[in-house]
Amino acid sequence: MNNESVIKSRFEENGKVFETGAPVTGAVSIENAVAVGFGDGSIRFFWPDNDPLEVQAHSGAILSIASSNDGVITGGQDGRFLKISTNAEVEEIYNFGTRWVDNVAAYESMVLCSSGKNVYIWSDENDKPKILEHQSTIGGIAIDQNGRRIAVSCYGGVTLWRLEKNKWKSSKFAWKGSHGKVGFSPDGKYLVTTMQENELHAWRIRDKASFAMSGYPSKVKSFTWAGDNPYLVTAGAKEAICWPFDGKEGPKGRKPLCIASGGQQNATFVESLPGEKAIFAGFRNGMVLLSELSEHPNDVLIQNPTGSEVSNISISPDRSHILVGDSKGQILWSPLWEQ
Amino acid sequence: METNTSQVPVTVLTGFLGAGKTTLLNRILTEQHGRRYAVIVNEFGEQGIDNDLVVDADEEVFEMNNGCICCTVRGDLIRILGGLMKRADQLDAIIVETTGLADPAPVAQTFFVDQDVADRTKLDAIVTVADAVHLSTQLGEHHEAEEQIAFADVVLLNKIDLVDKSKLAGVKDRIRKINPYTKIIETNRCAAPLEEILGLNAFSLDRVLEVEPDFLDSDHDHEHDDDVTSVSFVSDTPLDLEKFEKWFGNLLQTHGQNILRSKGILDFKNEKDRYVFQGVHMLMDASPMGPWPEKSIRNSRVVFIGRKLETMNLKEGFESCKSD
Repeated sequence: MNNESVIKSRFEENGKVFETGAPVTGAVSIENAVAVGFGDGSIRFFWPDNDPLEVQAHSGAILSIASSNDGVITGGQDGRFLKISTNAEVEEIYNFGTRWVDNVAAYESMVLCSSGKNVYIWSDENDKPKILEHQSTIGGIAIDQNGRRIAVSCYGGVTLWRLEKNKWKSSKFAWKGSHGKVGFSPDGKYLVTTMQENELHAWRIRDKASFAMSGYPSKVKSFTWAGDNPYLVTAGAKEAICWPFDGKEGPKGRKPLCIASGGQQNATFVESLPGEKAIFAGFRNGMVLLSELSEHPNDVLIQNPTGSEVSNISISPDRSHILVGDSKGQILWSPLWEQ
Repeated sequence: METNTSQVPVTVLTGFLGAGKTTLLNRILTEQHGRRYAVIVNEFGEQGIDNDLVVDADEEVFEMNNGCICCTVRGDLIRILGGLMKRADQLDAIIVETTGLADPAPVAQTFFVDQDVADRTKLDAIVTVADAVHLSTQLGEHHEAEEQIAFADVVLLNKIDLVDKSKLAGVKDRIRKINPYTKIIETNRCAAPLEEILGLNAFSLDRVLEVEPDFLDSDHDHEHDDDVTSVSFVSDTPLDLEKFEKWFGNLLQTHGQNILRSKGILDFKNEKDRYVFQGVHMLMDASPMGPWPEKSIRNSRVVFIGRKLETMNLKEGFESCKSD
């Protein structure tokens, strides 16, 4: 929207805009870069000081991206599970043929992906993947902070896999319905999933006590953790809805913080600002706000509406730059602080 | 399901095993049509594919927790359609093949229930491939075969060279009895023009206005309880909006499981617009569709396709909606 009357934000003034033409499907930090996956199968590395580097990796959209020890790993609609180094070297870890590689994750030298109902794990020692089977197609995978547990969501709940004496042992966290993205809380005590319904579900791992976080006007497509409490920050509503996870009972019976208001449309992506009590919220119309985790937050405009849904917000590893990507392929890459 | 040019049309291809679905699919994939299709299949195998995109899927039907007891959707479709919308290349159409024994309702309901799916794609039509030789037997033995005919916007009646004229007429009668709305295309080896199968826009509400069902009398005394049948009613007296909403809402709530599809054009008293609706089980899409054309006859027409329709007092219910 090249509307002359729109006042550009400082970030739009100081940053660079790239029109890539392909939807942004994911992004992740690696070394000092942000690596972005696109709907045309390409990856672009954005550095604070250099021009972006484009690597053609998959044919068809990249469905998932994560960073590993020595490169980003990606899963695509071409059935390939790839590792791509920041020098643009592409290595095929596995080829699943006509089956999509829906989710990827990594911890140090362990890489894993899901295709259909199975999770495939590659560790250092051997080339053959270890296969973890599930009852239905996998919605999301997550590895905990020390690489000992893997959470896998699908229809009917989450399967938590624990590495014990070199064997993966499973336990089931059941809740009726279809579960999408899954994550551990930073302290590793809770599991959270997005659901097909307009809500999130959470379990306290210790006793499997579970609860729903509902009331959203649309599907929750994105969540992250922020602050010291910490808060579970979620998209899906006209504000970023932040659930307090401190105390014994977490958000049970408590009201969430609602911040980053001003968007007339639902939030589609949320990201925390590492080291600060602040979050970014991107909306369906392309607007991005920075907001404080407090009862009376100040909102800062990062990006004016672009007309396309915000599909990613990432902060560079050195916290110097912000990247905003949308579903039409526009990228804003901007210094985060006053120069 | 609003009409929106950026929505990619989705054709659902059903049909019993051996009816000729794969033949049709191969034709779609190999014919020079200058368009880009994505085909979502179950275990497609090794056939050669040129230009088009083939996605393997497992049919995963799951219940929604939305309080609607018959509301099942296809979870894999939500995931795959969402994934296809992330692609940079524009697809002209998406074709979903279902397995032979599949109930088409969860596929159709997916387009009513999931907002992301409804925003970016639209259900174009349900096309059922039927075997002229075996359909009559299959209809008697498998309720899925009846459902596939009941949901069909188009029935591709295949292998007609293998039956004589009277048998063909009998099969067509049987189809009509289940579904008076469907268009029957007679073929051998699924050799029908693709434009009669794809891009029909059959689920758009304004198409309800165009398609005239073969109105049948509602007597079906010889039918078995479990058979899928259809009934239709016409009223020249304008209906009362409030009475209709109350009756119809209650009807879907009580009998939605047995009403497979419903469609209608309604003339309400003191309303200048035509109202059009169509439903799949308990889910319904309805909207005013502009004023009645000047020279057309204003009347209300409704069609129900389903099981045990005779137990629902449909005629009495519809009559009771007439305005005083």
